Amino acid sequence: MRLIIRDDSESASSYVANYIISRIKHFNPTTAHPFVLGLPTGSSPLGVYRILVEKYKAGEISFENVVTFNMDEYIGIPRDHPESYHSFMWKHFFSHVNVNPNHVHILDGNAPNLEAECVEYEAKIKRAGGIDLFLGGIGEDGHIAFNEPGSSLASRTRVKTLAYDTILANSRFFGNDLDKVPKMALTVGVQTVLEAREVVVVILGARKALALQKCIEQGVNHMWTLSSLQLHPHPMIVCDEDATLELQVKTVKYFKSIEKVAQTQGFEQILPSKLRTGASPVPQTVVDEVQSPNILAPQPVTSRFLQASPAAEYPVRSVSPDLVPDRMADRVGIPNISRRLTPQPEQQRVASVASVGA
Amino acid sequence: MPHSVPSSPKSTPKNGGNGLTKFTNCRVLKGDKLVDEDLWVNSVTGKVVRSQAAFYDDLCLPDETINLGGRILSPGFIECQLNGAFGFNFSTSLEPAVYAKKIKEVNKQLVKTGVTSYMPTITSQRSELYKSALPFLGPSGDYQVAEDGAESLGAHVEGPFLNPTKNGIHSVDVLREAQSFEDLVDCYGLSNITTDETGRPSSIKMITAAPELGQMTRLIPELTSRGVIYSIGHSEATYEEASAAIAAGATMITHLFNAMRPLHHRNPGIFGVLGIAESLPRPYFGIIADGEHLHPTTIKIAFNSHPDGFILVTDAMHMVGLPDGAYEWTNGDCTSHIVKKGPKLILEGSDKIAGSSITLIECVSNFLKWTGASIPQALRAVTTTPAAMLGLQGLKGCLDNGADADMVVLSESQTNDGLDLVVDEVWKFGTKVFSRQT
Repeated sequence: MRLIIRDDSESASSYVANYIISRIKHFNPTTAHPFVLGLPTGSSPLGVYRILVEKYKAGEISFENVVTFNMDEYIGIPRDHPESYHSFMWKHFFSHVNVNPNHVHILDGNAPNLEAECVEYEAKIKRAGGIDLFLGGIGEDGHIAFNEPGSSLASRTRVKTLAYDTILANSRFFGNDLDKVPKMALTVGVQTVLEAREVVVVILGARKALALQKCIEQGVNHMWTLSSLQLHPHPMIVCDEDATLELQVKTVKYFKSIEKVAQTQGFEQILPSKLRTGASPVPQTVVDEVQSPNILAPQPVTSRFLQASPAAEYPVRSVSPDLVPDRMADRVGIPNISRRLTPQPEQQRVASVASVGA
Repeated sequence: MPHSVPSSPKSTPKNGGNGLTKFTNCRVLKGDKLVDEDLWVNSVTGKVVRSQAAFYDDLCLPDETINLGGRILSPGFIECQLNGAFGFNFSTSLEPAVYAKKIKEVNKQLVKTGVTSYMPTITSQRSELYKSALPFLGPSGDYQVAEDGAESLGAHVEGPFLNPTKNGIHSVDVLREAQSFEDLVDCYGLSNITTDETGRPSSIKMITAAPELGQMTRLIPELTSRGVIYSIGHSEATYEEASAAIAAGATMITHLFNAMRPLHHRNPGIFGVLGIAESLPRPYFGIIADGEHLHPTTIKIAFNSHPDGFILVTDAMHMVGLPDGAYEWTNGDCTSHIVKKGPKLILEGSDKIAGSSITLIECVSNFLKWTGASIPQALRAVTTTPAAMLGLQGLKGCLDNGADADMVVLSESQTNDGLDLVVDEVWKFGTKVFSRQT
């Protein structure tokens, strides 16, 4: 985990924007090899979008070959409603830059079949080759996208009921009328975010300080879904001083010192070069088969999480061979004894493997 | 609405593009404000585009992005009283083909002044002239393409049902009174005042008449039911008579203060209806801000009495755009001359003001200088307000989604006596039709 602390929100936003730009430039995207960017909405990333637009207008960056996937969208408000995330993205980003509309993906909160929409969204991400960089923000309760407290850390794109606190917080955008605030949303899952090759989260302001503390200094916890980032190979959190209010002085000093030392050594923590140029294959979870989960058939919460290592660039450790217990009959040395055993253990094994694979 | 009928493509985009143009870095007139916003227009449909929908639904990016460098992007100007321009007087009797050709020339010239739609105005004339000229002056929007220039929103007939004592320079001999609707039909011709069976709107969109003459006040509902706007003007109406006309459906006053009784403290006359009186809606009113017809302070008073009804008009004659000199003018039966000296027009052999030869943008600049109004207020007087008066709100005079993409790019130039607005570019139906040489 990298934690980058800047004096104020402006310089934190600027750091993130510049980081994204340098990532895209280094990636050198083409039509056949686009850079896939995950995008958030909300107040935290506003400054980042503003700076990205400025840099685009100054000719420093082109988004022509950037494919975007948004994190979430409300259910049940018109797409062009001023508070919809389609409108947010249009107003703050897409209308100002040269993103190709064919490259833009946002969940459709008015889809006739919301479940199918979610499954298709996951498929689209896969078809795009996975997400190179997922930018995110968090809520005061530490939610990433609309993965409210208690969301499964293995969750994928799905329909989500909003937490009462989030509805209250959002009511300011809907004339303070709780009845008008959408109560449901479509959102990518925690697992969807974690499968991105890199995750960058921007956290600004004192209101988010407790969430940051929970995610940095405490363990992985579904009540603070951002804490799942600890399991990602390349996470980076960028925050301002205000957001560090709940952190221990020691923690803040530690992360600052790392950045400082690295800079004096002329070395910055960077991604493995394969990731930076995007030549690596889509990270695969090591589970035998990933079934696209849905509402009716949710993925079982197993320790998959710990196996779900997208770190394909690391040498894959050879797995210890499975224990195959031999039979006492083999050791006894009485011929024909195995014939007496039915069914045949070898055949039994083959049959059971076949049934697992089915 | 005749104007909302889907019509033929307004232009054909070059190089197989989608015809979308995006304006950026501009101050767009929206309501009472100039807002920093992008504007998307479509030259094929000729409309302002809901950009977000074009992006998400049609997956479109604009063919061209135009950086206006912070200049003002205003809806195209609407002129409600124009007697002629660039040497052609609408009140002339000509061969139909020649008349049509002249109109086309005027439209192409006029659009360069920022006027993208207008009401060609015919002064008091003999019935024959109305019948020959009016068929060419009807609303042209559905048939017009961008290259045709300014479009007519329908004719304005200023007369001949005017009060002879307030005739201005109109010939007294041709003035008459109406006792019944048949008298109006007799004067203008039936096809010019009624919608035909195909639903094509009548040529006449507005009539200026004196409500106190004959049965005129009683005829107002007959006109408004046919979609014709009744405007009070060239009238001796008292406050009571004017109020009765408003109650009957009059919604406009033609060149307020000129050719009517002045405000008197015991009888406020026509001007009085701008006060919130008799519980009647307040009418719109035309103001000629040329420095001749009205004192600047009078304009300020009129504006402050009812800002939402304030419409700037030029009442310009065909001499606008021509050099100084004496010009022939058909006036009812006789032909007289109007002497042009700079912006002043005087009827030869008298001291009567004979209309103006000012352009609408000059009126806007004058209004800005004299009243200290804001730029949006001044621009509304030639865009949103006249559109509302004509019942064309949302279509003309604004740059809302779905409105006609008639636009003027304006730059501000500071002069010794205040701010001047200059027309840099004019766009009609989403296509650029004029660019100022610098």
